[in-house]
Amino acid sequence: MKRILIALLGLALLPIATEAQEIALKGKELFGDMNARHIGPALMSGRINDMETHPTNPRILYAGAAGGGVWKSSDGGATFVPIFDNHVQSIGAVALDPKKPDEVIWVGTGETWTRNSVSIGDGLYKSTDGGNNWKEIPGFENSERIASVVINPNNTDEVYVGVLGALWSDSEDRGVYKTTDGGKTWNKILYVDGSTGAADVIMDPKNPSTLYASMWQFRRTGWGFNSGGENSALYKSTDAGKTWNKIHNGFPKGKLGRIAIAVAPSNPAILYSVLETEDPKKNGLWRSSNAGESWEHLNNDFGLVVRPFYFSRITVDPKDPDVVVKGGLTGSISRDGGKTFKNLGNMHSDIHDIVFDINNSDIIYAGTDGGVYRSWNGGTTFEIVENLPLSQFYHISVDDAEPYNVYGGLQDNGSWYGPSSAPGGVTARDWNSVGYGDGFRVLKHPTKNIIYSEMQGADNVWRYDVDKNRTKTIQPLPKKGDVKLRFNWNAPMAVSAHVPDRFYMGSQFVHKSDDMGDTWTIISPDLTTNDPKKQDQAKSGGLSVDNSGAENHTTIFTIAESPLDQNILWVGTDDGNVQVTTDGGKNWSNVTPNLIGIPANTWVYHIEASVHGKGTAYAVFDGHTSGDMKPYALKTTDYGKTWKSIISDDIQENAFVRNIQEDYKNEDLLFLGTEMGLYVTIDGGANWSHFTNNMPPVAVHFIDLQKQTNDLVMGTHGRGVIIIDDISPLRELDQTVLAKDVHFFKTEPFTMTEGSGFSGSFGAETQFVGANKSNAARIVYYLQKRHTFGKMTMEIQDMEGNTLTTLSPGKSKGINVVNWGFNTVAPKMAEGKTLSFGGFTAPRVPAGTYKVVLTKGKDTYTHTIDVVYDEDSLGTLAERKEQEELTNTLYTMVEDLAYMVHEITATQEKAQDVIANHPKGKKDAQKLYDALESLRKDLVITTGDNYVASAEPELRERMGALYSNVATSYDRVSGALKQNFELISEDFEAAKQRYENIMKKEGEKFMNFLEKNDMTKPSIQPKEEFLSKA
Amino acid sequence: MKTLQLFILAFLFVAIAPLSAQSADEIIANYLENTGGAENWEKLSGIEFTGKINVQGMQLPIIQVQTKSGKQMMKADVQGQTFYQEVYDGETLWGTNQMTMAAEKSDAETTNNFKNNLNDFPDPFLNYKDKNYTVELIGNETIEGTETYKIKLVKEPIMVDGNEVEDVSYYYFDTENFVPIVVEEEITQGPGKGMMAQVKFSDYQEVDGLYFPFAIVQGVKDQPGMQITLTEIKLNPDIDDTMFSYPEEK
Repeated sequence: MKRILIALLGLALLPIATEAQEIALKGKELFGDMNARHIGPALMSGRINDMETHPTNPRILYAGAAGGGVWKSSDGGATFVPIFDNHVQSIGAVALDPKKPDEVIWVGTGETWTRNSVSIGDGLYKSTDGGNNWKEIPGFENSERIASVVINPNNTDEVYVGVLGALWSDSEDRGVYKTTDGGKTWNKILYVDGSTGAADVIMDPKNPSTLYASMWQFRRTGWGFNSGGENSALYKSTDAGKTWNKIHNGFPKGKLGRIAIAVAPSNPAILYSVLETEDPKKNGLWRSSNAGESWEHLNNDFGLVVRPFYFSRITVDPKDPDVVVKGGLTGSISRDGGKTFKNLGNMHSDIHDIVFDINNSDIIYAGTDGGVYRSWNGGTTFEIVENLPLSQFYHISVDDAEPYNVYGGLQDNGSWYGPSSAPGGVTARDWNSVGYGDGFRVLKHPTKNIIYSEMQGADNVWRYDVDKNRTKTIQPLPKKGDVKLRFNWNAPMAVSAHVPDRFYMGSQFVHKSDDMGDTWTIISPDLTTNDPKKQDQAKSGGLSVDNSGAENHTTIFTIAESPLDQNILWVGTDDGNVQVTTDGGKNWSNVTPNLIGIPANTWVYHIEASVHGKGTAYAVFDGHTSGDMKPYALKTTDYGKTWKSIISDDIQENAFVRNIQEDYKNEDLLFLGTEMGLYVTIDGGANWSHFTNNMPPVAVHFIDLQKQTNDLVMGTHGRGVIIIDDISPLRELDQTVLAKDVHFFKTEPFTMTEGSGFSGSFGAETQFVGANKSNAARIVYYLQKRHTFGKMTMEIQDMEGNTLTTLSPGKSKGINVVNWGFNTVAPKMAEGKTLSFGGFTAPRVPAGTYKVVLTKGKDTYTHTIDVVYDEDSLGTLAERKEQEELTNTLYTMVEDLAYMVHEITATQEKAQDVIANHPKGKKDAQKLYDALESLRKDLVITTGDNYVASAEPELRERMGALYSNVATSYDRVSGALKQNFELISEDFEAAKQRYENIMKKEGEKFMNFLEKNDMTKPSIQPKEEFLSKA
Repeated sequence: MKTLQLFILAFLFVAIAPLSAQSADEIIANYLENTGGAENWEKLSGIEFTGKINVQGMQLPIIQVQTKSGKQMMKADVQGQTFYQEVYDGETLWGTNQMTMAAEKSDAETTNNFKNNLNDFPDPFLNYKDKNYTVELIGNETIEGTETYKIKLVKEPIMVDGNEVEDVSYYYFDTENFVPIVVEEEITQGPGKGMMAQVKFSDYQEVDGLYFPFAIVQGVKDQPGMQITLTEIKLNPDIDDTMFSYPEEK
């Protein structure tokens, strides 16, 4: 006996042993079908790096965004769709295979107009199926920025790639590369040195062995930029890249900066180049008429010399070598071979690329800091493409409105706020402008309808009274005796959670105001390193001075007030300091020496003061401006005395971090905003998972967690605002949950929102419309394994177990989200010649507790949810109960009518049978048929169609409309509805009476006939069966 | 009126199947084997699907019939009216106009593209080589939280707005059992052009030895889809050919 017991024990132990294995708390499957949604905005779009046309099909067009991926248009630029959402979103160049342009697409990543805020790329990609699938081409992992991909039209396996390379550091991964086998193997065929990259590579359109390459010596730091040097040069090769020679005949001696180069497609002997030189008089446009043997200087107008690092693209009309367009602040066009230029028509400033339609040079597409523009008249007027949500947020915040608003500032596109959901979706007109210039932080006053916003370098900080439409400028200004204030380009602001009128700003000092910015007090010493070597921005730029303020350094970058104590403030600086005060600024401690694993002077991008402990905070560090792309995030629980790294190997090695957001409930749940998208940990940073459900690996600059909804709101630098609705299920995920076959997540009671405004969809054909949050009940559960075989169903039941409706359950492994709109099922409508649209209304359930019953094979899983009424209802509870009761009455009435019509038509069918086949009964049958038909015609529409040939509404239509009106109303039942109900009830009673009379008179005779002749009765279904919706 | 638009969605009762492999060929062979065997799929002369579409509390009953001879019919009954969609009688592709309730012919391009798919009964992968289709294993991908083989299927080219384009779809076969759980296809025309249409399959069940998915979610990738639940599948049903005929009388 004992032996058997032991054997059984052994068996029992086996499965336990397996189950005890740790389930990895990471992976794509954790998130199941928890999907992100994008709300734009698209109205101001975002920076475009490269445009590309199709060699033969003028309808097809590509845009490579600086931070928002690759977009394809198949309708001449009317609309675009993204085709590169699984990969890094910073794009340098897009190229199509000249022989297979519909299949083979090359994408070089990493934007090439090297402003301070650029994102990074991570290599070269190729698709052979029109962009549906992409493969990374090995060898370019460290290229950072790819400027050109050039393909030999005669042999498309021969491809040249111009790598601009690292912006912030030396790198050998630069220069011109060549493959002759379609990308399998590569040779570096032109390399100068570790600081000089290929700014452009082009090919003679008639002779693929002739190539031009412009090499550029350049470097950016956190505090300056240098364009130009001895190594910048323009090269030509006539032997397919074997040898290269400088073609500077006519160019001034000395250092050169960024060089633009273009060849006229219609006459390859004509070249245009734009130079940045030591002699401003020699800057601007140069032309060669002999394929580069000699050059002639033509023009140094502002439009030709402005900011070469940002604007160095020349495009020549494919048909006319004398029509030349150059990117610039406004863009310039010449029709006399470059001698004179005029500005392009009005559009967003900062034009980076221009392409002509392949057949019609009147059609021009321009890629700007504000999206793609189209011109139909040779560049005189431009119109914006309205469905490119490429907005580049530096920062976002949210308020507590319902639905909450999202606030944020954009690269070169001002400051904005807009709703997280809006009737019909979030459209361009839902967004409100609240600041000029470059926009950064935008914060809502915690209690008043006032918004703070700013422009670059805190040149202006605005306090905007939304209700009164009044703006006041409130930035801290130096007073007598102050040193010069140093504000970052993206200057920190913070509002207090404890004192609503309190507002903080950071220069090198912390400024505090207790009157919403009217007066300021400095409450800190200089918290930066105050390193003078990093403060000489007037000389920044290299050959062309570029002191826009974007390089201001040794400044405070982040200020975090503890949500638990108004006297605890954390400060992080762009030169690597972390400072904390616990007495409201009287004393500051520099905890920088306590940081672990962070290289000195690494930019402190964000500090998150925790709700989980006064001494707890997170700090993230961004070293990319010194070429260090590694992710860094630290946590302290003792006011910065000790820190631990919360980064794991799961995070891509070049995904440098800009933001972290903690969960308010579960200390182990954290969200990390990186250059390569969003990462999530559910175990305090031991494991991280890349969130990729409708979430491209776009640079996430700022994250906020909206407290009432638990929505995670991300400000991305290239794809606008992206939201993950209600992350609360992630709080519950742990080993226990993951080990279960099915787990329902707890949910708060769901409110049946009553908002019912209007929404026009005007313009939505070609405009971006942001996705809304569903107002439905979210039923969320975890499946350990995808359900593929056998039945799986989901029902909503009342607490007595009556089925109210069936839902379509998600079957994914991981988290599944099923929406229930609080409706049961629509009533069965009487059959007629047309549709009664009122009959498509399913009634709402009353507030209460409901069962969600999930049946999976033989197993049943039950969960309960609570449903509550909207507190903002227009009516009282008693009025609502009256509405629900009348809805039920009408529901039953509608179905009674349906059944009556069913009885009538079934009887009529039988009568017709008799008329046709039984002459003896024909007369009575005909009488019955006619009487019923006359009645039926008053009950339902029997003629016409669903549009304008419609007949007058009959009882069914009127009753259906009333039912729908009452059922969908959120207000008390109006007098008009009640009177209409009275009328329809009477009409229905009268109809029932008529029916009864007919069946007594004509019906009885007919039935007798059937009985006498042993004929079957009309085939009338039992009522219950007829009305069944199973 | 919006409700009605749902009818317009075409139904892709295309594929079914599941178990074992490496190359695209092997995966497809396993799929056909696991779902009943190629020889049994070949024996089918027709299929009748009965089910419902779940739309906001309304269960729209639908019936679809497909035959090996190349005919097809789909209909939905609502309030005593019958709406037909994608009905093909061997020559004419037609459907019900929702305003007039009368039958209308599809445009020539749509009809010709539809004809190209007639040889996909009962499954495009059945004898795909004989049909000159090409398949390619793109790689492994996690979808629906599940490890799958992603296979690219290229069929006869179709015409879109006068231009010939490849007819490409991507099938995600569960690596465990070799049935497709997701199919994607780039939308080639209309307002969704360029977006990915996505169909998800689950609730595979056996019908006379063959496996069919009884739950199908159809929509655009990353957007909520519409669920079709099948309640019955009849193999080789009795078919009255008049159901396919274009009603000349209006």
